[in-house]
Amino acid sequence: MATIETAEQTMQVKLKIWRFDSSTGERALKEYEVEAPEWVTLLDVLDIIKDRVDGSLAYRKSCRMMICGSCGMRMDGAAVLACKTRMYEIVQAGHVPVISAMGNLPIHKDLVVDMEPFWQKFNAMKPWLQPGYEEPPEGKEYRVSQERTKVIEKEALCINCGCCVSECNAMESSPAFLGPQALAKGMRFVGDARDAATVERLEDYSGEHGIWECTRCYFCNERCPKGVDPRDAIAKLGAEAVKQGVDQDMGVKHAKWFIKSTETTGWLRETELVPKTQGVISAISQMKFAMKLARHGKVPIPVPPHVADKVDEARALHKVVHEQGRLGYDGIVQGERALAKLDYHLREEDKTEETEA
Amino acid sequence: MEAKHDVLVVGAGCAGMRAAIEAFDAGADVAMISKIHPTRSHSGAAEGGINAALGNASEDDPETHAFDTVKGSDYLGDQDAIQILCDEAPDDVYQLEHWGAVFSRTEDGRIAQRPFGAAGAPRTAYAADITGHVLVQVLYEQVVKRDILTYEEWFAWKLVVEDDRCQGVICWDLLNGGLKAIGAKTVILATGGAGRLYTGTTNAYACTGDGMTLALRAGVALKDMEMMQFHPTTLAPTGVLITEGCRGEGAYLLNSEGERFLKTYAPNAMELASRDVISRAEQTEIDEGRGVNGNVLLDMRHLGAEKIIERLHGTRELSLTFAGVDPIYEPIPVRPGAHYHMGGVDTDVWGLTSLEGLYAAGEVACVSVHGANRLGGNALMETITYGKRSGRHAAEWALANTTVTVPESVLSDAERELKTLLDRRDGERPWRIRDELAITMHENFGVFRREDQMQKQGDIVEGLRERYERVVVEDKGNVFNSDLTQALELGFLLELAQCMVVCGIARKESRGAHARPHDYPERDDENFLKHTLVTWDDGPELDWKPVTMTKWEPKERTY
Repeated sequence: MATIETAEQTMQVKLKIWRFDSSTGERALKEYEVEAPEWVTLLDVLDIIKDRVDGSLAYRKSCRMMICGSCGMRMDGAAVLACKTRMYEIVQAGHVPVISAMGNLPIHKDLVVDMEPFWQKFNAMKPWLQPGYEEPPEGKEYRVSQERTKVIEKEALCINCGCCVSECNAMESSPAFLGPQALAKGMRFVGDARDAATVERLEDYSGEHGIWECTRCYFCNERCPKGVDPRDAIAKLGAEAVKQGVDQDMGVKHAKWFIKSTETTGWLRETELVPKTQGVISAISQMKFAMKLARHGKVPIPVPPHVADKVDEARALHKVVHEQGRLGYDGIVQGERALAKLDYHLREEDKTEETEA
Repeated sequence: MEAKHDVLVVGAGCAGMRAAIEAFDAGADVAMISKIHPTRSHSGAAEGGINAALGNASEDDPETHAFDTVKGSDYLGDQDAIQILCDEAPDDVYQLEHWGAVFSRTEDGRIAQRPFGAAGAPRTAYAADITGHVLVQVLYEQVVKRDILTYEEWFAWKLVVEDDRCQGVICWDLLNGGLKAIGAKTVILATGGAGRLYTGTTNAYACTGDGMTLALRAGVALKDMEMMQFHPTTLAPTGVLITEGCRGEGAYLLNSEGERFLKTYAPNAMELASRDVISRAEQTEIDEGRGVNGNVLLDMRHLGAEKIIERLHGTRELSLTFAGVDPIYEPIPVRPGAHYHMGGVDTDVWGLTSLEGLYAAGEVACVSVHGANRLGGNALMETITYGKRSGRHAAEWALANTTVTVPESVLSDAERELKTLLDRRDGERPWRIRDELAITMHENFGVFRREDQMQKQGDIVEGLRERYERVVVEDKGNVFNSDLTQALELGFLLELAQCMVVCGIARKESRGAHARPHDYPERDDENFLKHTLVTWDDGPELDWKPVTMTKWEPKERTY
């Protein structure tokens, strides 16, 4: 609760907010300026505006400690949790941020979106454990190692705030796409040692608007306030689908051809990509287009196959993956921003000490 | 009437969802009403863990758990209720695990347990430091599996009491506007606590004591309302929670002189003494000038980066975001903050209140398993065990009884009352009253209590209630009118504050969270080994109720 009754340092905060009234369809960008303590977050500022300037401003909030997932919204066009966004640096920079409702979801009022489509996709994942592990001894707990539990550590952090969905480019062009949040929830079960429905889930999730509809733009990883890294979860699902032989979708065929061509030639064999992905008939229908591309030098002549000079290095990489058994989710290297948001980096002074030691 | 159900659960946190699942599995037609989506519930903010004598980290048994809880409660807990909790806890935790809860694990793959304050064994089962979040998720998954109907973002405003039975709830539909009546054979209150009574609180904005006031207004007694727990480690200025799990993992509390000051207050248990003891110790250090800008320091640097990142990453995230401090390198400034209401709606061991058809479970209820001081890790356990028990009892009762009556007049009366509020155009808006309430409760009804301050607080609250009578809601719209619901929430809080003050003044002793060092510094078992009860008849009416004792006689309580 923000109060200015205490003797703390305050600052003037300016915001612009996209107001929206669904009953009239009116939309307007309004500017606000309030006095606030220096420690405030965006959520605190909205509270001050609602209290002192306009009681009709609508936004969701609850825990104000980054765990309930209520206050997802956009700041300057990118999704944030309002309670996690400190205002001090923004004010110091003289910036006046524009606040709006999350994207990819209909707006009820101001910053309050309709979460119904979000939850429908969540529900479509059959998001509950379907046990089939070894019977727990004496009615006690299932035995799962900590290492095995860590496979879904990040997916289990998801607070359903919707920030990833808001920024999802694939969903913007294909609203039926299951999307990063639902798929991360799916990985939470596929990666759970106690769940017995792995193949069934992978088949479900590999449908028309599933795993392979992701365009790999990584905006979800970028905007997730909890370090869930939904794109990595989707990659894990894809790899797991290949491993489990769930490979009928065009997306997975496409991905598999990348693997095959890099292993054999060290290059992408583009000419064969379309027939391998979409099938021969579909490829024939696109011959005219392909010829045109060839004429302009956009695709290499397929015969003889174009083999990279150092193809052995590419093959060695494939060998390492197989030797180490890093197939399925285990082969996915975490995105750089992953837990990195929280990752521990030795500070400069400690590095020096260590070098001296 | 909008709809009718066998069992209607108000609130959808851990207790509410667990109750709904149990009632569903018992064959009842069950629905939940919640002013926020179930996964947004404040149960999700519980960090450290859930207590059950699983014996995974050392020898343990429910009996020891029960004794620790009785002692922790400063002997105000009802021993039959505590015994039930501790006996049923292990199976209830195994069930959560079978449903898929992502617990941290021991080396041999069992549920990991860590030490917590005032516990005789490492008994707190945990999922890193996001245990509440993990439990909310798993319960919601089970709710989705059963396709249990939820009236989402519906705000419960009144209980329907007809023929001396609770027969439904009147709600405001937040997304679309309008009052709706839902009939029910049984209603289970699971609305959580009322931490928003205080300015520095770990509680969410949603924790406004709704269920407590609904019960009070329906003629049901609230019990031990003076017992508000102050958590020893909250972040300034707003009170964000830093888990007891830090101390469970070995963190120290230091004063400005760098001393582990608990050696003076709890030489044996040190940082793992009970919360009331540590909060008082911190407040004393701060008051006597050994604080650091109104805080003490929580130092976990010696735990090392690896342990902090693996088991306390959420704490690190909170600390970095809200205090700008990385606990790997620097101690976190912390202070006591309002955290948990031991008091609440008076129920029996099935969650049943004195009003037929009305139940309560979780923080909203006072069974009482926490007495005058709750042990860390027992709150989540209570939500599960007593959520389950109230769900089962309510379903059984509902399936054996058939009729539901909600007269038209109930809804039209409520509509008229709401219209009066919404039509008012001149007057004060609620926020200043809300802020004054929270600030003065902190000043006058905090860690230490003085007779004169409590008296003064009674007058302040009465004044605030008079101002509230003329309060104005600025937003007159129907879509997501949180201006309206926040005004109604303030009404709930004001009545509770008045109840708390009355009970606090009447308890002329120091017990657990109720500390009166200036006039009644000792516990007085002869006169006050009993619960306060408060009902509302144009103002709070005080009464008392004996504590249920089974086998543990009160002893001096030291740690």
